[in-house]
Amino acid sequence: MPVGKIAKTVMFLLGAGGFYLLATHKHTQREETRQAAVSLTPACAEKLRRYALDAGEHYRSPYVVQQTGTSVTLAGYSNEDVRAVQRGCNIVDDTQGRRTTEVSRDRWNTTRFIRSKHLACTHCHQGVGDKQDANGNRLKGSLHLGTSWGMADMYDRFTGLLLSFELRQMQCYINSSNGYKPNIADDVIRDVTSYSRFLSAALNLKIGNHYDEQGVDEIAASATDKQGDDYVRGEALYNQKCISCHGVQAAGRELNGQLLAPAIAGPNAWNMQSRNYFYYVSTILPGFICRNMPLGEENTLTNQECRDMAFYISNLPRPAGDRQGPLAALKQQALMTGMPPLLRLMESRRSELPGAREAERSQ
Amino acid sequence: MIPSAPQDDKGVRKQTPWTSPSARRKSLILIFLLVVFVLWAHMASGFRVFRSEVASEPGWQAFRAEHQIDYYGEDGQFVRAVQNGYNLVSYTYKYAPRFTRKTAGDAVNSCAGCHTPKDLAYGFVNSDRFNAKLGRRISFEEQVQRCYAGAMDGYVPTIYDPAVRDIRLLARAVAHHLQLTEGAIRSTN
Repeated sequence: MPVGKIAKTVMFLLGAGGFYLLATHKHTQREETRQAAVSLTPACAEKLRRYALDAGEHYRSPYVVQQTGTSVTLAGYSNEDVRAVQRGCNIVDDTQGRRTTEVSRDRWNTTRFIRSKHLACTHCHQGVGDKQDANGNRLKGSLHLGTSWGMADMYDRFTGLLLSFELRQMQCYINSSNGYKPNIADDVIRDVTSYSRFLSAALNLKIGNHYDEQGVDEIAASATDKQGDDYVRGEALYNQKCISCHGVQAAGRELNGQLLAPAIAGPNAWNMQSRNYFYYVSTILPGFICRNMPLGEENTLTNQECRDMAFYISNLPRPAGDRQGPLAALKQQALMTGMPPLLRLMESRRSELPGAREAERSQ
Repeated sequence: MIPSAPQDDKGVRKQTPWTSPSARRKSLILIFLLVVFVLWAHMASGFRVFRSEVASEPGWQAFRAEHQIDYYGEDGQFVRAVQNGYNLVSYTYKYAPRFTRKTAGDAVNSCAGCHTPKDLAYGFVNSDRFNAKLGRRISFEEQVQRCYAGAMDGYVPTIYDPAVRDIRLLARAVAHHLQLTEGAIRSTN
């Protein structure tokens, strides 16, 4: 056999062996992470304590006792299951791993699937996917993860698929986080599924039943006075109600590396293929705003106001999605890069105009 | 810029595969045959694989009424998937021949030989849990895959395959009918 062929064969075997060793090493690392104790975020520690998540033969939710006066006995969780639920809760609450020094271990390196530097699941699925009022009542249109699990697998009008819970999560990574698709069997998906299923058990939700807190309470134009969705009204409302948290041009606010409020436009926001994008689905973002914003003052805005704000926010530049193509991506990138300094310049010029200071004072 | 046809050292243009009349004829015949096959497959073959309708097997209508599948509408993608799930579970040898070696003559030739729809529903709401025997968490889909490979003496479908997905949807529909919660324990009565 010629020397060249032998060398090629040896190289191939070495390469294949290297890949095998690497895969085995990664597999072992993952298994070690699955076995490791989980350090919970404060919100997760509080939630899981309240729902009495613990290993045991049976599970009885204190929430169900509190709400209905009766106890329901369900199958218990093993230590492995408990850790999966805990990790899932952490991922929902702290998707970017801002509260851990070991993102690769504690959050399955979620940031490899996300381009946004701000967004976490809990920004849309508020209350770590289980938003409740002070009396423990779940809130309408709060994108509850437990009810989403119960209603998964139904026909999805946007994708034309029977959308499983795992595929839906993949869409969140791709569009809402403007990122990439994890594998369906990846721990990052499975742990969030485990957490959502645990919520479903803790609240005694029935499979396939519709609950008000599931999804968004969508607001169509027909639910308004039909004044039309107005950019100018939306901008004024944004400046009045949202800018203090979400900042100028909705780019989000950070302080000393701590995220105060996520971007809802610009490079760190959801992309144009997300269902939150008004031009893709015009009913979801208004519904989300009306039921979930401003924090602490939910349900105070009118349907028309929510639609105006959603319209304004969606007109600010944001990343293009999968389907928009490279030209749209380039345009959006140029807008996201060029618009902020231009607008700042305009604002500074405007404030220098004669009479601007008097106008400001009179306001 | 369109590249010019290759020339030999005498400057005579060589015939590329497409410029040769016989090769062009062959390609056209192949395209024609392909079009004829696609038209035949869609319109005349009668193969179910090309259609979204699901055959109504014996027992389906009774199952549908008993489990109130019409809750999800008389027809629709979900109901059809549930129906396909029913067919897969009840007539596995017929509807998943790619994934089982069992034939009509075998004593146990379908999932229904071991599991009732109720079993599947309880299995579904208790899935994604740690399996001490295997030493890891097992999803419902993986359990179905293991059944194909083991009890059905066959091969493993992918997790996305309708042969797996539709059984999960059937289990989900039954779980809804039984109004099961996550982790519901089956009573021994």
